[in-house]
Amino acid sequence: MTAALTPRYIDATVRSLPPQLQAEVRDELTASIADAVDARTDQGESREQAERAVLTELGDPSILAAGYADRPLHLIGPRYYLTWWRLLKVLVSIVPAFAFAGVVIAQALTGATIGQMIGEGIAIALSVIVHIAFWTTLVFFVLERTGADTGVRWSVDQLPEEREPGTGRADLIASLIMLAIFAGALLWDRFRGFAFQADGQAVPVVNPELWPWGMGVILALLVAEAALAIAVFVRGRWTFPLAWANIALAAVVLSLALTALARGELFNPEFVDMLAGNGVDSDARTVLAVLTGLGVAGVCIADGVDGWRKARRAELAG
Amino acid sequence: MVMNMNTTEFDGHLQELRRGTIVLASLQLLRTPGYGYGLLEQLAASGFPTDANTLYPLLRRLEKQGFLESEWNTDEARPRKFYRTSEAGVRLATTLTEEVAAIAAATAALTDGE
Repeated sequence: MTAALTPRYIDATVRSLPPQLQAEVRDELTASIADAVDARTDQGESREQAERAVLTELGDPSILAAGYADRPLHLIGPRYYLTWWRLLKVLVSIVPAFAFAGVVIAQALTGATIGQMIGEGIAIALSVIVHIAFWTTLVFFVLERTGADTGVRWSVDQLPEEREPGTGRADLIASLIMLAIFAGALLWDRFRGFAFQADGQAVPVVNPELWPWGMGVILALLVAEAALAIAVFVRGRWTFPLAWANIALAAVVLSLALTALARGELFNPEFVDMLAGNGVDSDARTVLAVLTGLGVAGVCIADGVDGWRKARRAELAG
Repeated sequence: MVMNMNTTEFDGHLQELRRGTIVLASLQLLRTPGYGYGLLEQLAASGFPTDANTLYPLLRRLEKQGFLESEWNTDEARPRKFYRTSEAGVRLATTLTEEVAAIAAATAALTDGE
């Protein structure tokens, strides 16, 4: 026969209570349950039936214990929920993208294949997401239990600016990923090469002489672009200072690319020879150079103008 | 107490409205010392039906806050913890009672114009 229900119920209730509370709650609950059982047996119920009914009415002992100990029955309550949620959203929208880009660049430097780079990048980004979610939640779980103050107060100044369409999180992630892919492609080209010769040997398309200083400048510009994309996301809209910074960046990229192109330093001489070997004559190479120049100029100018137009529209709307 | 056929539908709102009144009723009833199960029955009889698992932790909380005082009575075969409303508890009960009366008056005034 199993032990009587009441002692088991009381044990289950007081087990999780602070020690100084246990004896007191045990004695009081014993009397209360006995009183309730007596009241039912006086009405003609069997002892066993009455005990079952009384304990069922009292409900889950853990809930009762939480009531005695004044403990919350939720992971993160209304006091901390929004702070937790906002922080989690910001971290998850930014950190994994950087982790992904970092891993891809590191893998490219060690000579991994595209498949390895992307696979490893995704695996790390996923585990970063899990870590962010777990540790952030753990911190807020502790805050909830200790009742600490996060110091976060809402004020009307925090009301979001009217969001210009196209300055959302999706935009930010897309531009960060594009920049990461571009950086990865540059490094891949430098260390592995994109252009395949007849013998299957790959040579870089971009002039290896540009490594490391020229490339370093390009990578620094990419980081600046990423910082700008984040700044636009944080402000929620384009502003004129941001638009001018964007135009300055585009101008730097454009002038550097065109200078290198004009001096014949942009493309790898080996790659140019290869084109010549494949029957691409010098006129065609000139056309290629001009098209490249126009392409770079077009992208840079369009980018600069786009930021400026969005800033002006946001200004008018505000 | 008004019981109508919409009780189930209104349960959530009714529960919310009654929640605070259990403190008030307990403090008033415990001006005469009483123990857990006895108080539960008294509350039900006075029109404040309460669940045991709500009342018992509530008594402990009110005691911790100084609105109730307690004493173990071992005169009878079954030792029981008796609660009695403290002076602070009486003041709280008076304030709450006035508040409920004010709410009742304000509620009545809302429908007077009809």
